[in-house]
Amino acid sequence: MRSWLAGSVLALALIGAQALWPELAQALDRNKVMESAARFGPRTAGEAEQLLQMIDRAATVEELPRLSLVNNFVNKHLVFRDDSEVWGRIDYWATPLESLDKGRGDCEDYAIAKYFSLLNAGTPVAKLRMVYVRAQLGGRSLAHMVLAYYAEPGAEPLILDNLVPELRPASQRPDLQPVFSFNGEGLWQGVGATSAGDPLARLSLWRDLLSKARAEGF
Amino acid sequence: MSLMRQVWLLVLGVVLASLLGAVAVSTVSTRQLLQTQLQIKNSDNAAALALALSQQRGDAELMQLLISAQFDTGYYESVAWRQPDGKLAFERRAPARASQAPAWFVALSPITVQPGVAQLSNGWNAIGSVEVLSHSAYAHDELWRSVTRMSALLLGLGALASLGAYLALHRIRRPLDNAVAQARGLMEGQFAQMELPHVPELQRLTEAMNAMVARVKLMFEAQGEQLQALRLQAHCDALTGMSMRKHFLAELESALTRDEGPARGGLVLLRLRDLALLNQRLGRPAVDQTLLTLSRAVKAYPDRVRGCLAGRLNGSDFALWLPAPDVAAETAQALADALRLSLPAFGPGIQVSLGAVDLPRESLLGQWFAEADKVLARAETQAGFVVEFHRGAAPAEAGKASSSTGAQGEQAWRAQILDALKERRARLSQFPLLDREGRLLHLECPLQLQLEADGSFEPATRWLPLAVRSRLTAEVDLLAVSLALEAINRDGQARCVNIAPASLLDGGFVARVREQVFQAPQAARKLGLELAETAAVQHFDLLLEMGRQLRPLGVKLGLEHAGAGLAQVDRLYQAGLDYVKLDASVVSGVSGDAARAAFVRGMLVMLRSLALKVYAEGLRDGMDVQALWDCEVDGVTGPWATAQGGKA
Repeated sequence: MRSWLAGSVLALALIGAQALWPELAQALDRNKVMESAARFGPRTAGEAEQLLQMIDRAATVEELPRLSLVNNFVNKHLVFRDDSEVWGRIDYWATPLESLDKGRGDCEDYAIAKYFSLLNAGTPVAKLRMVYVRAQLGGRSLAHMVLAYYAEPGAEPLILDNLVPELRPASQRPDLQPVFSFNGEGLWQGVGATSAGDPLARLSLWRDLLSKARAEGF
Repeated sequence: MSLMRQVWLLVLGVVLASLLGAVAVSTVSTRQLLQTQLQIKNSDNAAALALALSQQRGDAELMQLLISAQFDTGYYESVAWRQPDGKLAFERRAPARASQAPAWFVALSPITVQPGVAQLSNGWNAIGSVEVLSHSAYAHDELWRSVTRMSALLLGLGALASLGAYLALHRIRRPLDNAVAQARGLMEGQFAQMELPHVPELQRLTEAMNAMVARVKLMFEAQGEQLQALRLQAHCDALTGMSMRKHFLAELESALTRDEGPARGGLVLLRLRDLALLNQRLGRPAVDQTLLTLSRAVKAYPDRVRGCLAGRLNGSDFALWLPAPDVAAETAQALADALRLSLPAFGPGIQVSLGAVDLPRESLLGQWFAEADKVLARAETQAGFVVEFHRGAAPAEAGKASSSTGAQGEQAWRAQILDALKERRARLSQFPLLDREGRLLHLECPLQLQLEADGSFEPATRWLPLAVRSRLTAEVDLLAVSLALEAINRDGQARCVNIAPASLLDGGFVARVREQVFQAPQAARKLGLELAETAAVQHFDLLLEMGRQLRPLGVKLGLEHAGAGLAQVDRLYQAGLDYVKLDASVVSGVSGDAARAAFVRGMLVMLRSLALKVYAEGLRDGMDVQALWDCEVDGVTGPWATAQGGKA
């Protein structure tokens, strides 16, 4: 978390390099998720089972309860740890299954897991944004990432965060100062049919993550 | 299609295919790379611009200013700011520039690039997205440039490769062509050795071919040598190497009856007197030495003068025939003088009598010897080295002609012949050439000229020597050819005409014959032209050229009067002949003489191996003919055949 702000500017520059990805308009592939999870181990398979059940449930409810459901599930199933501790790297964006397997993750891992869960529960991508924020925590400034939900374009977003586990509108989060936001919107309309094997995909953390998540069935 | 062309096309095909393949692969990958780079540029610039715009706290003017600045300083087709509801908030757009690449190329390799999109925010507020689209025409320009460069380079390389392949093929082709030419040459009897090529496989081929050709050549040479030995055995006296009686007589007969030759000739008989006595007194070795010296003196003439004939008639008698008028007496005297000086060295009592006669050539063989024996007997009545001479008058009829010949002079002759030619006062006489079953193979057609208007048609013996001297043989022969072609056209019968060797020396002769033959292509296939053996010996290259010009048109080419002279034709196998007619001097008398028959058989084997037909000419005796059939000649001509033909 400490030095990723510098690194993430580079990552941001690379976010754009996603043009060759296929459409993400596909439904959640449960079999693939379970297969991928089974490769991690029986415990992860169990976690994945719970995740899928939660997503199924979330898909049947209104947006607000769905947000809470997802937010709570992810916050409950992950314990906050630095990437360097979990992955032995300064910055690593883990897929939902990787995070569940470790049971640990840092801020963007929470946001990522929530992002994919909501997408798969039926929330349009245009309503979701990953947001780089500067967080005030105990008088310290922290580079941090949260997921923002926009019920309407231009409306005040709801913030899904791990520092403050409950869902709150942005105005009630004076500790967070937004810097930049992004989502997968507009990134998937491209040429090329495949992306996982494309070496260009590995240049951008965000795109790399999207490819990996997709390969896992999300 | 020839093997070389197939290989060449294959090489060309491979070069072209690899060239096209390389250009296609390069084009596709370059296009892919350009497209990806363009996409990344759009996306990256959109993200960077969005990052900057998101820091402006929603100040629309500032954001538009930033968008304009980005647009103005970069290579963009459009930069647009879209509000969250999808409406366009601000846009800068330049018309898409057309590519410099040809339209078909652009259509064939489309570069489709999506605009780069990034989200904008003002604090927590989403304020839309930014879309960035770069110019893509330059990508096509670059792609087109790279394709043309690549094509040019590969075309150059392809040309080099083709050149290399061409040279390599050429290197292989030459020895192959050589081998084919060698094999074909062998078929035509040429024993060419080829240079070894550098390609190992072909080297072995050429080596094998060369070895085979050398072996065939060796076989031919061995055959020739064997034949030569047979000839000596059959025709020549063991001690002196001169023609034996039978052969000398046959040769002389042939020389006397030949068309070509002088009007008169001389015959000298030499006799070593008292041979039996000398044998007793001096001993055999000394006498043999004497005979050898004598024979050497006589043989000097045929060795030096073409057409001269010499022979040993029996133990003590030698004969010398001279193909020239009025030289017999001098020759005999010269011989006598020479012998008088050299022979006494071998012992006392050695005497040689000489009798010389000078007669018209058409005199019969018996006449020649009767006259010569008479003068020799006269000489023998005197002691020492005595020469007696007699100049015989021509037989009654011929005498008249020859006397008129002398009176007329050369100019008049020439005029007569020219007149006869001009008015075509000429006809072809016909003598059949029969095969074993008595079938007519072709007609020998010597030309007869009517020298004086309303006069009789006279055979070549009469006018040919003069025609040779007046250099008119080419004209005469052309007339004969045209008459023969006409006759063939009339009755479809194959015919042969004689060509004088002298005609070959006339530069335009062959071309003119060719012209005539062209006019009658059907008849040409049944026309034969035959030349005396001497033509092959003396004008080999001219004969070769004649064959080259005429044989492709179907004209047959043959040698007549062929005998021992054939051995002198080193490259008989090259001459390009169709048939050979063996001289009467070779074939007459084969029935009674195994050695002569063996020689004829040997010649047949040799000539057959050169793919020649072999005929025998001048046959009188039915026994000889039978013997020749046993030797398997292809046909016979002469008085016997004429009589048979008459009967049939």
